[in-house]
Order: sequence, then C-alpha cells, then structure tokens
Amino acid sequence: MRRISILLFVLTVVATTLYAHHGRGATYDMKKRITLKGTVSRVDWRNPHVVIWMDVKDEAGKVATWGFENAGVSQLAQEGYNRNTLKLGQEITAVVNPAANGAATGIVVKVILADGSEIMSRDRGQNPVD
Amino acid sequence: MRNRFLILILVLAVILVCFTGLAAAQDDKDKFKARYDSNSENKEFNPHDFTGIWMMTRVDHSLGAPAPPLTPAGVAAMAGRVADSRTGGNGNAPWYACNPMGFPRLNNDDEPMEFIMTPEKLLQVFQWEHRIRYLWTDGRELPSGQNLENLGPAWYGHSVAKWEGNTLVVNTVGLDERAWLDNAGLPKSFHARIEERYTRTNYNTIELQTTLYDPEYYTATYVGGKKTYKIVPDEATTYFGWKGLFAGISEGICAPMNEVDGYNKGFRDVGQAKPKQ
Repeated sequence: MRRISILLFVLTVVATTLYAHHGRGATYDMKKRITLKGTVSRVDWRNPHVVIWMDVKDEAGKVATWGFENAGVSQLAQEGYNRNTLKLGQEITAVVNPAANGAATGIVVKVILADGSEIMSRDRGQNPVD
Repeated sequence: MRNRFLILILVLAVILVCFTGLAAAQDDKDKFKARYDSNSENKEFNPHDFTGIWMMTRVDHSLGAPAPPLTPAGVAAMAGRVADSRTGGNGNAPWYACNPMGFPRLNNDDEPMEFIMTPEKLLQVFQWEHRIRYLWTDGRELPSGQNLENLGPAWYGHSVAKWEGNTLVVNTVGLDERAWLDNAGLPKSFHARIEERYTRTNYNTIELQTTLYDPEYYTATYVGGKKTYKIVPDEATTYFGWKGLFAGISEGICAPMNEVDGYNKGFRDVGQAKPKQ
C-alpha cells in the first residue's frame, strides 16, 4: 500500500505539467521578483523566446552579464515591440522572476526605461509566461 | 496477478494525469481574449468559408476532456514518457528537441492557425513549426487496409474532409506513434482514426470537437470536449515590418540551435532548482 501511495504521489507531481513548447521544470522562482539596473549588452530576437542580455555592475564595480527570457517574437511583435526596441548600451531596469538556483538568469516581469515608462510588462498583460 | 495489479495502478495514474492537466488548463482561460475579440459577431459570414487566421480561446493542449482508461498495449506505448513538472525535472516531450508535435497536439496549440481554402483541399498553416496540414476535399477516400500499410505513418497522418451540412468533418489516419497526443504523453496507435468536426457558428467563431477512435490503446472511444477558435483581426497580423511582423502568421519555427543549444542549455538547465525529494 505504501508503494502505491508513493507511485501515485510521484505521478501527481509529474502530471502537473507546464503548458509550453519546451521543458522548463522549476527554472524560475515565480513567487520572487528582483530588480536589476544595467545596460543592454545584446538582444536575441528569436523564437522560442526573445532574450535580453544586460550588464549589471555590483557595488565593487564588477560587471556580471544577466540573461532574461521573454515571450516569443510573434507575441512581442503583436504587442508593438521589435528587434530595435532596446538598443545596445541603453540603460534599463529589469524586474524579473529570478532563476530558482541563483544563476544570473530570469524571466522578465517588466522593463523600465530611463524615463520611467514600463514596457514588455506582464503586469499589463504583455509578455506572458507561456 | 501482480502484473494485473500494476496495470490497474498505471491505468489509474493515466486518468489522474488527464484530470490534473485539464485543471491546470483552466488557469489560462481568458489569456488571449483581448487579442481576438475586436471583430463583431454580427458580421455576415459564409459557414462554408473558414478563410482567415484563427486562435483557440483557451490554452489547453489536450483533447479537452478526460481520456478513457488505456488498454495494456496503451499503457506499454506510454511507458517512458515523462511530462514536465513545476516542482523540478524536465519532461521528455519530443518537441522539446524540436521534433514535430504531430497531430492532434499541434491542433491544440495556443498559437494561431490559418485556414486557406482551394477547390480541392483546405490547408491549415500553423504558426508553431510553420507547418502545413492538407485536408483533402476532392472526394478521395481515407487510406485503409493495404493502402494505409503501404503509406505508413506520418507525423500529421493522412486526412480527408467533407461537409455535413455546415459542419466540416475531417478524418485522419496513419499517425506516427512517436508523437504524443497531448502534454501528458498519452499515446495513439498507427491504426487509430481521429475525427474533427468544425462548425463556423458566427463571423468570429469556429467550434471544434475531436474524437479519437483507437481500440488498440484505449478501452473506449475518446470523445474530446468542445474547443473554440476566434478569428484574429486583420490589423493584428498585417504590420509591414514597422511593428516587427510582415504579414500573416509569423515564423514559429523550432530550430534546434535556438531551442536545444540556446534555450534548453542556456536557460532551462542553467537556472533550474534540483527536483524536490
């Protein structure tokens, strides 16, 4: 009986699927948000997900490059964004759900531009996590 | 006796998989509503004309109803298939490495699909995979018997369609068993037949109901739930570059160098916590 319980528990966990084109497992801590300020170092405008790379300086001046996942090209394009919405060297603030294990990656909640405007904002129904 | 007991447990587990997946699908019910709801339902329409770009109203990658229990052969066919999990651990769905989703999984995707109609066939063009499916309306028969054996399996099978009143009835056979039926990894046999019934109920809406006939792998007919497509407004798909798209549905090609090397290795695996014990 104990074996049956364990088997059913395991299968229940397995059955709680993410509905995505790719596996994600527990890549991000979706209950946590962090805010990072830095400059855009690269934008990968491609499927399955657009990736924004950003250089972030710590208090000691050391630069670390972070990578942020977004929705796919068609989704962001239909929301009015394009490959040149963010420019290399542009200063931005990114609010992200960080990697579950502390790696320098995350999934974008929103991007705040220097003038305070918010773009690619999940809070406003854009840039959804598929 | 012990084997029978194990099979019973696995059948119960498969049912559980289906119910749990459906429950999760409810969360996204209105996710895309704002994107397709700007057209009037009162516009005139031809119920035999599906031309246009359509999108399902709910993110539900299953047939939309619980599956009947699997036969022992069905249980065996599903062995080794692992769905993704929120608590850690990646599944092994074929499309995670850019293999085709196959039919009917791609049909139940949440990205747009375009119907193109010609006198002898309908084409379904799917944004994801940038895939074309041929639905023949020229009166040809569905392959069967030795003809079907000669054709062999195909990721999207072999499909014929005909009108029954205002409902387009599509039948598909010869499906490749390696493609999963849904995200849970439910199987379908090469000898299965899948019937889709599409009805355009107003300018904005096509309703779809799908049924899987597969006595090899299922103990009963798998009757899917009703799915709803809404037409995507023209202005949402015609941008001429300046908004980032050209026109029509976009190129959702799954390229291994993006998906496997870029996403899986660059993001999914990098940030993932260890599965909870």
